[in-house]
Amino acid sequence: MGRKKKKQLKPWCWYCNRDFDDEKILIQHQKAKHFKCHICHKKLYTGLPPVPGAPGMPPGIPPLMPGVPPLMPGMPPVMPGMPPGLHHQRKYTQSFCGENIMMPMGGMMPPGPGIPPLMPGMPPGMPPPVPRPGIPPMTQAQAVSAPGILNRPPAPTATVPAPQPPVTKPLFPSAGQMGTPVTSSSTASSNSESLSASSKALFPSTAQAQAAVQGPVGTDFKPLNNTPATTTEPPKPTFPAYTQSTASTTSTTNSTAAKPVASITSKPATLTTTSATSKLIHPDEDISLEERRAQLPKYQRNLPRPGQAPIGNPPVGPIGGMMPPQPGIPQQQGMRPPMPPHGQYGGHHQGMPGYLPGAMPPYGQGPPMVPPYQGGPPRPPMGMRPPVMSQGGRY
Amino acid sequence: MSLFGTASGFGTGGTSMFGSTTTDNHNPMKDIEVTSSPDDSIGCLSFSPPTLPGNFLIAGSWANDVRCWEVQDSGQTIPKAQQMHTGPVLDVCWSDDGSKVFTASCDKTAKMWDLNSNQAIQIAQHDAPVKTIHWIKAPNYSCVMTGSWDKTLKFWDTRSSNPMMVLQLPERCYCADVVYPMAVVATAERGLIVYQLENQPSEFRRIESPLKHQHRCVAIFKDKQNKPTGFALGSIEGRVAIHYINPPNPAKDNFTFKCHRSNGTNTSAPQDIYAVNGIAFHPVHGTLATVGSDGRFSFWDKDARTKLKTSEQLDQPISACCFNHNGNIFAYSSSYDWSKGHEFYNPQKKNYIFLRNAAEELKPRNKK
Repeated sequence: MGRKKKKQLKPWCWYCNRDFDDEKILIQHQKAKHFKCHICHKKLYTGLPPVPGAPGMPPGIPPLMPGVPPLMPGMPPVMPGMPPGLHHQRKYTQSFCGENIMMPMGGMMPPGPGIPPLMPGMPPGMPPPVPRPGIPPMTQAQAVSAPGILNRPPAPTATVPAPQPPVTKPLFPSAGQMGTPVTSSSTASSNSESLSASSKALFPSTAQAQAAVQGPVGTDFKPLNNTPATTTEPPKPTFPAYTQSTASTTSTTNSTAAKPVASITSKPATLTTTSATSKLIHPDEDISLEERRAQLPKYQRNLPRPGQAPIGNPPVGPIGGMMPPQPGIPQQQGMRPPMPPHGQYGGHHQGMPGYLPGAMPPYGQGPPMVPPYQGGPPRPPMGMRPPVMSQGGRY
Repeated sequence: MSLFGTASGFGTGGTSMFGSTTTDNHNPMKDIEVTSSPDDSIGCLSFSPPTLPGNFLIAGSWANDVRCWEVQDSGQTIPKAQQMHTGPVLDVCWSDDGSKVFTASCDKTAKMWDLNSNQAIQIAQHDAPVKTIHWIKAPNYSCVMTGSWDKTLKFWDTRSSNPMMVLQLPERCYCADVVYPMAVVATAERGLIVYQLENQPSEFRRIESPLKHQHRCVAIFKDKQNKPTGFALGSIEGRVAIHYINPPNPAKDNFTFKCHRSNGTNTSAPQDIYAVNGIAFHPVHGTLATVGSDGRFSFWDKDARTKLKTSEQLDQPISACCFNHNGNIFAYSSSYDWSKGHEFYNPQKKNYIFLRNAAEELKPRNKK
């Protein structure tokens, strides 16, 4: 084993930092709480000698023969008796320490006890880190440095910390958080974004126009940064801070104020909306929801024709007066086909009390009203709607 | 003659006009439902300023209309008037004296609606839909600021058809907020610019975005002396950044927090991350509310850095929100925001605006 063979160190769960008396309990705890395939929600095979009857163990698997490694990394993930469909192979390129490491996810896990451990100093009984090779055995010290590496923020000014390990399952609730402190401090220091407080000092206060913003915090706001000591954030409300969202930049691109994520550089840049752990509920193109919606023909029917005189005519008389002249220009006919509901207006207001005398029932009469715009002379494209009133001139 | 009557402050919520049904989830918080809600998605909400007695709510919708209701103490909402644009209405705001409402629309224009006469005239023109509109009241000038997808920010004296000033934006304007003498505009491609409005509007600083995703909403907050001192910026990635303009210690003072996400990491399903559709600060407490595509609203205390409350989940995204002038009423609209694309749009689905008593729930946490 490695030099790190600890004496009687109590095994602890490095996913959630809980101490356990017995490794058996620890393993059970980990299996129950942490080892789930995020894709199919099944329990991960932990590589431990399959114990028939253990939770999650498919029936019919014989106990491991002593001395026979159940699995070695790189071995085909299929073992006789393994239930089909339990494997979700993923290859993860880890930027940890510059190595590319491929690890099968789900389904198979590298060797368990009884086999020369992958990493030195692996606590007995510890199934090797699934998505994060190398992490579990890390000590605290290492943990800090790793995120440091992860972040690779040259980012002085530019970036915003938010360095989340690019990989899926967060191994250390604390790691992510610890990561940020490293970043943020460096960012803060190197952050010389002193914008000249230019001529007009807008707001009282001192110089240092710091543009940098600090890293993410847990959902409950507690900053993840600055207090390496506090691994706090026991996931307060709901989401531990490290959970990473869409690929987006994260650590990889960071720095540059580059596009959020242009996975494809096509006309409308697209977002990467799905990553292993999370899914952005947003259409793929990187345009705003309103822009996307406004493109629909339905919402464009009424737009003034190009060439329509812009403002041109300032305030004119009461709209009401304008109505009549409108020729029936049905260019925008069919506008709002799905407008039936308009009828509602009338409906509601029947008994509306509380109106100032002379006031009009609020939404004017039933059918769609359209105050053509006050302005000027017949704006042709004023889609002709049943020339109802038009609010105007009401009061 | 004035159209609007008088009404005093808003009391505790009255009965819901329509009553809550048992099985459907359109109003899980049992809040007051505004009557005669628009027929298509509500894009913006705005309450009247304190200069107007009573509470009047304006809502702009994708049905091209802008509606006005009076909200009475009892919670009763009375539809008062309506105006139309020729395109969906994207933003609305009030003048400081409460006599005019400004509306911005996809029809590339902005209008000024005189409530007393119930007439609306065009006061602004852009080359693309106008996304934001704000009234600026400075000691030496007053104007309307419009931000558009044509990448310009224009300032208008309502009496002239030519803008007083045109400022170029790096990209399409997505959201903006004004609290004199500060204005913030967030654009596409994560652009973020702060303007100072004294004497005349000018660009103060371009800020490196604290967020990694598309900007969606922004709201300025004030310090204890009631001066604007920073802003909250929301993105499509369920995250809000709190950013101070001149903080003593930016590394510590500025931060981001996650919100509007589903399932914790305990479950093995991938987390769903929703856009933050709106942010509003309570005018008295300084705490903030966020509403998201997930159909929930949350209240937060940015100084204590804690969450105060999260609502139950509505069956539709919450598209907009705002507080009334004294912070007693929190209004939020439940309508489809297109977050799942065209496929999930159901024109038959009713759009709601809910009113909630906000006096108690937004009190800040005791300082640590």
